[in-house]
Amino acid sequence: MENGFIILFGLSMLYLASTSRIISHIRILVMQGILLFLICILGHKSTPLLDIAFLIIETLVVKSIVIPWFLYRVLKKTGANRDEAANIPHFYCLVISSVILLAGFLASNCMIGMKNIAPLYFGISVSVIVISLWLITIKHKIVSNVIEFITMENGIFLLSLSVAGEMPVLVNLGVLLDVFIAVYILGLFVRKINKEFKDLEVSHLSELKDYE
Amino acid sequence: MMGLILIFPIVLGVLMLLIRRPLFSKFLLNIYALTHFIVSSYLVFFNDKAAQGSYFALDNVNKIFLIVLSFVFLMATIYNNGYSRHLNVSNKKLNHYFIMIMAFVWAMSGAILSTDLGIAWVLVEGTTLTSAYLIYFNRTKSSIEAAWKYVFICSIGIALAFIGIIFLNISSDNLNTLNFSELLQNAKEGGFNHFWLKLSFIFILFGFGTKMGLAPAHFWLPDAHSESPSPVSALLSATLLNSAYLVILRVFNILSAAGNSTYGRIMLIVMGFLSLFVTAVFLYHIKNYKRMLAYSSIENMGILSIGTALLGMAHYAVILHLIGHSLAKASFFLTSGNVLELYETKRIKHIAGLMNADKKTGWLWILSLLGICAFPTSILFISEFLIIKTMLTDGHYLMCAAFVILLTVILYGMAHVVLKMTFGKAGGEKLEMVNKNKSKITPSMYIPQVIMLTVVFILGIYIPPFLNNVIKAALQGF
Repeated sequence: MENGFIILFGLSMLYLASTSRIISHIRILVMQGILLFLICILGHKSTPLLDIAFLIIETLVVKSIVIPWFLYRVLKKTGANRDEAANIPHFYCLVISSVILLAGFLASNCMIGMKNIAPLYFGISVSVIVISLWLITIKHKIVSNVIEFITMENGIFLLSLSVAGEMPVLVNLGVLLDVFIAVYILGLFVRKINKEFKDLEVSHLSELKDYE
Repeated sequence: MMGLILIFPIVLGVLMLLIRRPLFSKFLLNIYALTHFIVSSYLVFFNDKAAQGSYFALDNVNKIFLIVLSFVFLMATIYNNGYSRHLNVSNKKLNHYFIMIMAFVWAMSGAILSTDLGIAWVLVEGTTLTSAYLIYFNRTKSSIEAAWKYVFICSIGIALAFIGIIFLNISSDNLNTLNFSELLQNAKEGGFNHFWLKLSFIFILFGFGTKMGLAPAHFWLPDAHSESPSPVSALLSATLLNSAYLVILRVFNILSAAGNSTYGRIMLIVMGFLSLFVTAVFLYHIKNYKRMLAYSSIENMGILSIGTALLGMAHYAVILHLIGHSLAKASFFLTSGNVLELYETKRIKHIAGLMNADKKTGWLWILSLLGICAFPTSILFISEFLIIKTMLTDGHYLMCAAFVILLTVILYGMAHVVLKMTFGKAGGEKLEMVNKNKSKITPSMYIPQVIMLTVVFILGIYIPPFLNNVIKAALQGF
């Protein structure tokens, strides 16, 4: 069952790559949060209670409610709607993302038999991270960059689930706090940039340079 | 004792938030700086047994990093006392400025003292988040651009480092820990899968290398260093980069113990030389003197990286270089704050006659250049000399030639700018403005640089035995 959710998680990146409305990207974040929650619950049956509580807070509360809600507010305040002028048309985005995802599937096949890694978790999470990094480089709006940063963090979260050895709770808490504060600060900066530059285009952020 | 470094500032921070008086916050920041320095000196030089915890501890390797951080923080705080007096901002903002400096130093201290790779990761990312406010402090278009790039690039870099940590977890087989000494022990016993360990090192080097300012992941550094207030630039350059370097050093140590040192060395040398090359290219036509200092930090991080990759005496040189660079660069950045106060511009072409305008700042500007460019008796002369000597004795002639040529180009670029700014004559209007601004520079904006430069030039001829013992102990970290 959890394999189905993992595949859905991977497919959600294709939707992200092929649409331009930022509000639907935020909805994808909500969906990814819920999927990660389901994957955690179904995949780790023998987890201690403390870890379960932590995972619920992390995936269900922070990843699928708090962060998307915060970004939604930022979006309302800035009035950003679409990220239209991506460097690469959406069709090609979709094709390239699909290829990366396929590569992830194929890579996960090679992992079968390795004792420390869950293959499907590994393959999908690596392709989600790569797609996110790639989308960051081609999108034009800074708010899209924040969204892809979060999907990358989601990918890393799934990657950490693929490993047999678990991180100590203290480290997990620290990571969650850091990611949350990073998104919060980036969100605040998005609003400031919107105020200063009257727009959210990445191309405005090119004043600091060494050549003229 | 360690509570005074790690818990005491939390109490002070709460007090600062509650009382909300900038003067009081400044006072508390001074108290913390002084406490930090006294406690660190005591722990490092007299009694390191008093600093042993399960997640935070003082060992042979991080002693030198802690004492450098402590010293630079104290000096930057003394400078800050004069600098903050003329900041034209609201009381609330000024209060936040002091709080965030303390939070920033707290996160750096934690990152240096942590015995666990996971905690170190969390705190290094913590330094990004706490310093973002400081970089954005001037609230200009360019400062928001710098802060955005800083948070975004460093967060992605650090996220990549986390992937490296996960891979390290995969490679360590059944060992479910991120404790440095346990990982090292496991490496010595051959408990790592080599493929995953190597892969993990790439990610960790690139991730923490982003924070350390190693090319090609250095793009945030010139922007952030040039846009932040000068005492913050000094802290960023002289202490933050070191704390990221410490994590890389510890992981490199694990990689070497597992028998993959050649692989790690090649990676460090590639990134090191790339950093030198980038600095040489950009410094040649530099337009902004604070960016020049930032590029010089990239260069020096490159030298640290190259020195780490070499064998023998080079490791001793790396530690000397770390001390020297931190002190000389902090002094350089603090002096750049004086120049900015006087001329109200960061553009090199609008500045001339610094020596005439303010003799003390002029001399500090020149001496900082001599210190950072390894002019004898700067300690950096000894370190760079030892690195070159190691290259020659090990037979890396080509590498040595490239190293010397790149350093010469960088020296030319910096000296050209500094001399142009220091000598010559300023125009009438400019002179009037400079004379008016002179009153803003208080004695506390000269004293820290004088102290740091004195230490830099004395250490080049005499290293006191108590410091030498700490340096020798740190050699075990390689």
